[in-house]
Amino acid sequence: MAQLFLNGLVTGLLLALPALALTLVFGILKFANFAVGALLTFGAYAGFVANVQFGWPLPLAAAFAALCVALASIIADALVFERLRERGSITLLVASMGVSLVVENICRFFFGNAARSFDVTLARPIRWQGVRINHEQIVTASVVIVALILVHLLLTASPLGRAMRAVADNPSLAAVRGVERRTVARIAWALTGALLGIAGVLAGLDRAIDPLMGWNYQIPIFAAAILGGLGSPLGAVAGALMIGLAEEMSALILPTNYRQVVSFCVILLLLLFRTNGLFGAKAVRK
Amino acid sequence: MSAYLVTLVILVSVAALVGLALNLQWGLAGLVNFGVSGFVALGAYGVAITAPHIGWLPAMIFSALLCAAISMALALLSIRLEENYLAIVTIGFGEIVRILLLNEGWLTGGALGIADIPRPFAAITPPGGGDGVILAFAIALVALVFVLLELLVRSPFGRVLRAVRDDATVASALGKPVLALRVRAFAVGGAVMGLAGALHAFYLTYIDPSQFTPIITAYAFMAVIAGGRGSNLGLLLGAGSIMALLEATRFLKDLVPSIDGAQLSALRLGMIGIGIVLLLILRPQGLVAEPRRRATEFFPNAKGEG
Amino acid sequence: MIENRETDALRVQGLRAGYGRGGDIVCGIDFAQRAESIIAVIGPNGSGKSSFIKTIAGLLPARAGSISVTGSDVTALSPARRVFAGLAYVPQEANVFRSLTIRENLKLATEFLRGRPGIGREQEERVLSLFPEIAARPRTLAGNLSGGQRQMLAFACALLANPEVLLLDEPSAGLSPKIVSQTMEAITRVRESGVTILLVEQNVSAALKIADEVVVLVAGRLSLRAPAKDVKPHDLASLFFGKAA
Repeated sequence: MAQLFLNGLVTGLLLALPALALTLVFGILKFANFAVGALLTFGAYAGFVANVQFGWPLPLAAAFAALCVALASIIADALVFERLRERGSITLLVASMGVSLVVENICRFFFGNAARSFDVTLARPIRWQGVRINHEQIVTASVVIVALILVHLLLTASPLGRAMRAVADNPSLAAVRGVERRTVARIAWALTGALLGIAGVLAGLDRAIDPLMGWNYQIPIFAAAILGGLGSPLGAVAGALMIGLAEEMSALILPTNYRQVVSFCVILLLLLFRTNGLFGAKAVRK
Repeated sequence: MSAYLVTLVILVSVAALVGLALNLQWGLAGLVNFGVSGFVALGAYGVAITAPHIGWLPAMIFSALLCAAISMALALLSIRLEENYLAIVTIGFGEIVRILLLNEGWLTGGALGIADIPRPFAAITPPGGGDGVILAFAIALVALVFVLLELLVRSPFGRVLRAVRDDATVASALGKPVLALRVRAFAVGGAVMGLAGALHAFYLTYIDPSQFTPIITAYAFMAVIAGGRGSNLGLLLGAGSIMALLEATRFLKDLVPSIDGAQLSALRLGMIGIGIVLLLILRPQGLVAEPRRRATEFFPNAKGEG
Repeated sequence: MIENRETDALRVQGLRAGYGRGGDIVCGIDFAQRAESIIAVIGPNGSGKSSFIKTIAGLLPARAGSISVTGSDVTALSPARRVFAGLAYVPQEANVFRSLTIRENLKLATEFLRGRPGIGREQEERVLSLFPEIAARPRTLAGNLSGGQRQMLAFACALLANPEVLLLDEPSAGLSPKIVSQTMEAITRVRESGVTILLVEQNVSAALKIADEVVVLVAGRLSLRAPAKDVKPHDLASLFFGKAA
């Protein structure tokens, strides 16, 4: 029980970064970015190249992955999303599906379908009060917590964060206050790209790297973001923790293959009963 | 007749049905469905499981109704919300169906799938004439669905939907009855996707979960975008040209021998992605533009501002 | 109409604009405004007043024509760059960032204008002295303010950019009569600090009290321009509806 709780917390922390990425883009550009899963996969491969092919240590490889995915996100924005910005959220969503296919298949083209993994030595798990704590779990938890604190500081205490929140709140007012939406959007993409890159490396520690690995996270990420109220950064983090716990705890009554089904049921229940997310973000009814 | 050509025609027919369905849901009713592959899989498994017991026609009807009911439920859940929610629910649905098919082995055969699915008219088919029969069946099915959907589009039902899609003011003014119409259109689209899955299962006579990847969804979107949202004729052209394009890439392997199978499929899928993005950016109206009508044509008594 | 090009704070020539694939809503407007004057734009519903002022602010792209502020052409600039050129705009109703605090709203107003002359500490003190109630509660969420307080905060944010020209879209919308007169009084104070003001207003009598001149917009075109003191509210009725036909 305590073991499942701990696993759930770590799973939730791992989900927190992509859920935050999804919700940040949603807040500023008002569409659910289908490509989060593919970009996460891309981050895992970028980390793989740095770690295994260049022989860099993992922290450096994670930084490299963050940079690569941030760049890829900026390129995707410049080539695709910016040109479609005035055409409505569904057009953007469909476009993000296209981008997702392209990114996933760039990975497949260069690395094939075979599963890969990082070059890390397996450390013995720590035992504490009967609970097994993996080395990877400690790494994941500490990296994510540091990243979350940095993002929180960026959003609440920097001019850039204020500008991002302002654009999310009222884009045309932000424009007439001297904030260029285009620049803010680019920076938001870079930030979400970096988050997804790091998440990809952490996910690659947790399981094998293959071109479809992002799909395993797609539903829980969406569930976490909806649970927290789409567009609310703090909500997304809280939602991610709850989804992580729900998925791991469900192992008590369901086979582990059904973890994603749990997330999907959470989405359905939320749509039925509480569409604003549990944390009361602004209503998104039509 | 060469077996390859038969395969091609069936592939195009399935793609055309899926495309027609998505065109009704997204192009006409304005409700996006990212779970296309889930509905097609459901349709295929529906006939695969029931056809041996109840015959092919009742099995097809069962599949269509099952898909219609589930689409309706998903649409009802999210239709009052912002459109991103329906998109997310349908993405999730597509994945969940795949997981259930893999894990509920007692019903679906798990990863092994289901074999020996009886084809329509199997009892009266002369030995060796199977391809001809399934070919005629596929073409007849596409033609029937096409005619029915065209009738639907031209009926008052279709006209209202189109008007609503083109003019948000009218949509909000009319409120609930319009929501009900859109949900119905979404359900009909789901049923047609089920039929497409059934055709797929009948042709292959063997299905497994790996045949129903999200790529089906991507094909369908590309067909609808290429054909122009709302135009069924454009859709058929779109589905046809995408399949031709995809088949053409098979010959790439002869040209560039250093490429392996995974790379080839990566190239093909990546091209679909690029195609979707390029068509959205360059030809928002599709290859065949639908004549645009103003809402006021259908609601002479409604006055909207600008 | 155009007396002296040097002193015109705002000049608009042959301006056309509209939404999406629809027809023009602003149909060829020529207009010039002297520095430090208040001009009220009035007209019937749907006459294009709001679109006119949005086009000047840059939120609606101009299809033809030009806009210049104190002699420099801003037509090709983004809304954000226009602020830098001296144009400030207060939209109708959604005029503050509701999810940000008062302090954050004020900070944002100048944070991205680095290098524009006349912004900084002194301007902040000057502006906040015009709106003392705003300065008193920096940590309140802007969304929790009353309509009148939000209006004041919006004015303050716009003024922090030290604009040459201030565009106001229906400052009286949704406010009670008492607050409307306070708002109008605030507008005259702003003008006294050296700002040129163009305001769109449905509340004709309130606008007439503070404006130097009135322009009447009907169906996207200027149909009258006159000193405010020569215009009687009841004359306008015939103008609005007579000429619209």
